[in-house]
Amino acid sequence: MAGRGGNRSRLLLVILLVTSLFLITLDLRGVSLTKQSRSATQTILSPIQEGFSSIFSPVGNFFSDIKNFGGTKAKLNDLKKENAKLKRDLVLSADIQGQLKKLRGALNLAGRGGYTVVAARVIGKGSASTFSQTITLDAGSSDGITKDMTVIGSYGLIGIVKQVTATSSVVLLMSDPTFRVGVRVARSDSVGVVIGQGNGHYLLQLLDPVGDIKKNDVLVTLGSDGNKPFVPGVPVGKINSVNNSSASLTQEADVSGFESLGSLGVVAVITKGAGHDPRNALVPTPEPTVTVYVTPKPDSTTVVPAPSPTVSKKGK
Amino acid sequence: MSLPRIAFISAFLLLTFAVQEAGIARINFPVTGFSLFLAILIGLMALEDRSGSVIIGFIGGLILDLSPTSNSPFGQWALVMTIIGYIIATNRESIGDFTTRPGAFVLFVAIVSGLTLTISLIAGAMLGEDNGTIGHNIIVVLGNTVWTFLFAPLVLPGLTRLRATTLSSRER
Repeated sequence: MAGRGGNRSRLLLVILLVTSLFLITLDLRGVSLTKQSRSATQTILSPIQEGFSSIFSPVGNFFSDIKNFGGTKAKLNDLKKENAKLKRDLVLSADIQGQLKKLRGALNLAGRGGYTVVAARVIGKGSASTFSQTITLDAGSSDGITKDMTVIGSYGLIGIVKQVTATSSVVLLMSDPTFRVGVRVARSDSVGVVIGQGNGHYLLQLLDPVGDIKKNDVLVTLGSDGNKPFVPGVPVGKINSVNNSSASLTQEADVSGFESLGSLGVVAVITKGAGHDPRNALVPTPEPTVTVYVTPKPDSTTVVPAPSPTVSKKGK
Repeated sequence: MSLPRIAFISAFLLLTFAVQEAGIARINFPVTGFSLFLAILIGLMALEDRSGSVIIGFIGGLILDLSPTSNSPFGQWALVMTIIGYIIATNRESIGDFTTRPGAFVLFVAIVSGLTLTISLIAGAMLGEDNGTIGHNIIVVLGNTVWTFLFAPLVLPGLTRLRATTLSSRER
């Protein structure tokens, strides 16, 4: 009996393995059935994701917030008491304000570049059981989004649209190891390719072996034929360090992106590029530094009006 | 394994998949994410008999293949989970009964979760997928294992009870 049961298990295993291999073969041969099934899943999931989005949005960054959590116990208790009444409203308000800020930034960037964009909310993030790094947006083909469109945030490139349904779209983030984007160094016009590394850092491979790059150089997208998948001029990142190894044929550099891909709330999908290349018009300029000079207070026994602090803005 | 049980488990896995994709995936866990779906799938596979492990593995893999964010070819997860199901099935006697050993159950699910991701990476590499650097992948696999180890105790007792209620008197 045991032998017969074992044979049956083995037969079942062989059938299931062959079925899996058959499905993989179908997918690799480009049979649309498999792609359609994923698209259908996305269509079904997107309303659920929208529902969950409102619940998980305030707690989505819970773990990263914990890292910045500080203060003494007494202070914490005071703050707890103070905030208990308005906690719920504040969380929601902060979340909405954060999203508004991100939306304003993205629209501002798109406006400066002359791009036509569709703003979209992030309603999902790539599954932990897959190795691809993606986000899901609440806008799809009914909003004018098609495959291979550029997606930007407040400060620069986020990724490209990988898959679209009527009401949602999946964006491949630029941190994904399969992501490649042609870039131009804003300062020297040297051309290269930026490759995702799976984290917040990227690898720049310069096409010209004697190209001019240095630390803090800003990279912008080179642009693609017909503006798909990349429109030109979108800021990609900033060079952290240049690796000039004599063993490598090209110059390489470590790049950090302008966008924090871990906390995206609202993004903009570029549906139509500008008629011209904005060149370096979107390169972020350094924020002016605010320096506060405080004159020491005179002795408290002397009755002299205290001078007010002098605030001056210094441009870099 | 009876057909109604297969249907029930499939529906339960689909529901878990929706929660995973729509909810859990939105939380920014440090290092890497936690897959509730994998933890539940492996938990179910560990509690089933030989053919049950393989069948549930295959169904769970197919559901994972439906993930719209997946880069891997359709069928890859079905293949990986069938292999995991077979590994669990062939070691059924040495694994023993987890219903009375919750600690061992949690440890087992966490380790198999890491093993599953590793086999998935190997299968992906064989199929020509680019999944990033080895160092990054090691961090992802280890991170997922640790998160599974931490969160599985919240899920597995309920899973064990749920399974017990769905068993027919003959299956008990």
